[in-house]
Amino acid sequence: MKRLGFKLPSAGLFITVLLAGIFVLLPLGSASEYSFRTPMFGPGTYGWDNYAWFVSQPDFGTYVTLSLMLAAVAAAITLFVLVPTVVWLNLRGQRLRPLMEFLTLLPLVIPVVALAIGAQTSLPVELQSNQYSLSFFYFVLALPYTYRTLDIGIRAIPLKTLSEAARSLGASQIKVIALVLAPVVRGAVIASVFLTIALSLGEFTLTSLLHWQTFTTWVTVISQSNILGAIALSVFTIVAAFALLLVVGLVSIRTKRRQVTEE
Amino acid sequence: MAKPLSSTVDKGVANSGALVSAFARQIVPIAPILVLIVVFLIWPIVNVAAKAFEDNNGNFTLDNFVVASQGVYAQAFGNSISLGIYSALLASIPGAAFAYIIESRGSEFLKRIINSATSVLAISGGVPLAFMFIAAFGVEGSATVLLKFIGLDLYASGFTLFSYWGLVLVYCFFQIPIMVLVFSPAVQALRKEWTEAARSLGASKWQYWRHVGIPLLFPSFSASFLLLFASAFSAYATARAMTVGTIALVPLMIGTLVDGNVIVDQFNLGKALAIGMVLVTAVAMVPYLLIQRRVARWQK
Amino acid sequence: MRFKRFAAAAVAVVAAAGMSLSFAAPSQAAINYCKVTDLKSTSNGMNGLVAAAKKEGQLNVITLPRDWANYGEAMDLFSKAFGIKINNDNPDGSSAYELQTIATATPDKQPDVVDIGVSALNTVVGAGRTSIFSNYKVQTWNDIPAEWKDAGGAWYGDYNGIIAIAYDSSVSPAPKKISDLANAAYHGQVALGGDPSAAQEAFMSVFAAAIAKGGSVTNIQPGIDFFKTLKQNGNFTSVLANGANYVSGAYKISLSWNFNGPGAIASAKAAGKTLKYVIPSDVALQGTPYIQAINKKAPHCAAARLWEEFLYSENKGKGSSKITAADKKLPGQALFNTIMGGQNIFVSGGATPITVKAMTKKGLLIKAPAGLDVPKTAKLVMPSPDNQAAGKALVTSQWPNL
Repeated sequence: MKRLGFKLPSAGLFITVLLAGIFVLLPLGSASEYSFRTPMFGPGTYGWDNYAWFVSQPDFGTYVTLSLMLAAVAAAITLFVLVPTVVWLNLRGQRLRPLMEFLTLLPLVIPVVALAIGAQTSLPVELQSNQYSLSFFYFVLALPYTYRTLDIGIRAIPLKTLSEAARSLGASQIKVIALVLAPVVRGAVIASVFLTIALSLGEFTLTSLLHWQTFTTWVTVISQSNILGAIALSVFTIVAAFALLLVVGLVSIRTKRRQVTEE
Repeated sequence: MAKPLSSTVDKGVANSGALVSAFARQIVPIAPILVLIVVFLIWPIVNVAAKAFEDNNGNFTLDNFVVASQGVYAQAFGNSISLGIYSALLASIPGAAFAYIIESRGSEFLKRIINSATSVLAISGGVPLAFMFIAAFGVEGSATVLLKFIGLDLYASGFTLFSYWGLVLVYCFFQIPIMVLVFSPAVQALRKEWTEAARSLGASKWQYWRHVGIPLLFPSFSASFLLLFASAFSAYATARAMTVGTIALVPLMIGTLVDGNVIVDQFNLGKALAIGMVLVTAVAMVPYLLIQRRVARWQK
Repeated sequence: MRFKRFAAAAVAVVAAAGMSLSFAAPSQAAINYCKVTDLKSTSNGMNGLVAAAKKEGQLNVITLPRDWANYGEAMDLFSKAFGIKINNDNPDGSSAYELQTIATATPDKQPDVVDIGVSALNTVVGAGRTSIFSNYKVQTWNDIPAEWKDAGGAWYGDYNGIIAIAYDSSVSPAPKKISDLANAAYHGQVALGGDPSAAQEAFMSVFAAAIAKGGSVTNIQPGIDFFKTLKQNGNFTSVLANGANYVSGAYKISLSWNFNGPGAIASAKAAGKTLKYVIPSDVALQGTPYIQAINKKAPHCAAARLWEEFLYSENKGKGSSKITAADKKLPGQALFNTIMGGQNIFVSGGATPITVKAMTKKGLLIKAPAGLDVPKTAKLVMPSPDNQAAGKALVTSQWPNL
């Protein structure tokens, strides 16, 4: 692919990335410095002990697995419910867009504590007793970001023209979505799925208010009197979520390349 | 006699049937998501919100709204709204610029790194976020010490992280990533062909941005801005950890009223404040929708 | 092959017989502990209660921080001695959260027991309200002062604390009284453990400041003014006082319940810091006791009652690290007598147990942690629930503009 458009000097890109790196790594790095401290071996010593401490806790694996499962389900809902909805809204449902924009801002504005109280008083017990109901809540809580990411990504693409062209060439509706539209909106879809995963892995308030134990709530229980361990855990949560998403992202680049070469 | 009657009835049914089916065609494809939003958000909230119209004995009253619109609560709405606006202003522009630079110049690999990082950072907050900034910019923070070493004493100049502007600064840590995340797809869609076309037609950089770039990006920018506003307007845990309530902010007051240890008899006032927040958001949607409509006309 | 199958069947029969035998032994298991209001009314007392609680195998507690009045040790000891798993829902949650959970949570997530503030209690008890608690009177019931228990046994105070000054050992000069906090040497070092309009500890800290600065239990204004002065002279920083923020040097002095002291000092030490606690010499502000109660919807009725018996036990006994395998095999009453009682665990955590007077008389009180003695000069005061209600109105309207 040839690069077109107004090119920025490479130095510009370099400086931008550098500034962003400082902006993120300064606070994160400063916090992680504490997580490596090992006062039991004397002041000024460093090691992995705080990390080893939580990894060796008996329930570590259980809760990591559980949180990953919940995140996977939430991601699936984003992929199979939200993505088709946004595509459709941009193709035919223009008039419903303001409503959706408003609805998808609400999860951000409504205090989680009110949502938790309401959910417990109004939802059927069978639903509440199922741990996977959390995935649906995570999906809803992620909507302010995921809906916009998808909507912005999709609306800028001449979807109508593309789909009409494809259909006039005899492609079915499903084929249109799968073969023509999906590849075009790929970036926005990946971004929204990533966000759902990140939110699911990190969500604390609602999970705890609904009396569930996931990785993040377990963390607060076990690290109650271990200050450095708690810092290590919060650094780990951020870095591990980033690493997980990066791996998923790199795999998706590879599959995309393979598809391109196959075509 | 029976016949004409039945035919009119049929006609009526057919008409309303057409209406219903037109409506159905609009609503059915988005029904799954509407069901999820209703079950996991609207229905629970309506149940709670109804209590805002009750006193502690369950009798109907509007007193909660009267209290919520006065004194320290009115002030809290003012602070929260201005915090939302400043934070959105301060995060949207660097965020948009960053998204543009990465999308137009970055490799696929770099984009994936940025994508993964922004997803994680966008949802960061609360006590851990406050701690990260304290570790960097607190009195004994690494950045504070470093700056002091090169002769810049942050705290001697009256700077403090634990203030209104300190919050605005800390919020940037999740607000800029939100902007990058949400706005990147818009920049991505800014077709290279258009840039090329504009160039081949002899457009200057300025002309390109004035007539092509900005008009195309503006709707997305305003949608992102609205999101940033709502995000800072409603942020709770970070503000709690950094101000212990010394700044009047609506989310903090709701937390105090609904989930505090000290005030335990004013739950319904908290719920009235929450309804107030939804109303503010609805009002914030109005200028946004006007902009969207205007831009839609403009683009034709 | 046939023989194998026969053997398996034989094993199954024997196992079944064994099972029915072990069930048959405590034939009194017919007792429905959800209805028991007093251990004396049951035929087999503590032995029966322990057996029934062990059979339930779990206890749901709610919002119990490990460092708070040494609840960590109480949970560890109970869990280890009786082999009962403790589920601690939202350890950092509030009293409001506890009551909200009783009102809304599904049956399996209901707490068995709660530990709530007096002001929260007053929203659920009193004339015209149906009690949400089960009546139960522990064996040491008579040792609880009458003013801090419900005559019917619905609720009972468990411990209380005094506002102390917590400070890093590097602070110079060491603060001795609350009015010292205005000292210019403490620039940017004074913090609170929460928002006084939401956190009881911070609210009572403002009350303590009020009394130190010429106010009284009916006049909290001087306390708010004092913090306003501290903010203006730059001493007060609005960072949340918690372990991580302290370790990062964001503040060095805070006001805190004395019963958070031993836990906080140990946590700080593990993180390489030396934290000290001292009761101010100008005012010793006592909090109203926290309240224990058994939830009417408790999913583990026997374990809930055993937990209360344990919390109100005045025994000196063994701590969690000293329990042996042999101890665990003891019959219920003997085991209960072997372990340290909750009232003394509260003492080891720096709190004042509710039965302190009776325990002193009986000579059962263990030694309190060193360094937390109340100075003779300190004015001992306790704002009543009514005083607190009046004070919070002022705090709510003025604190956001500090």
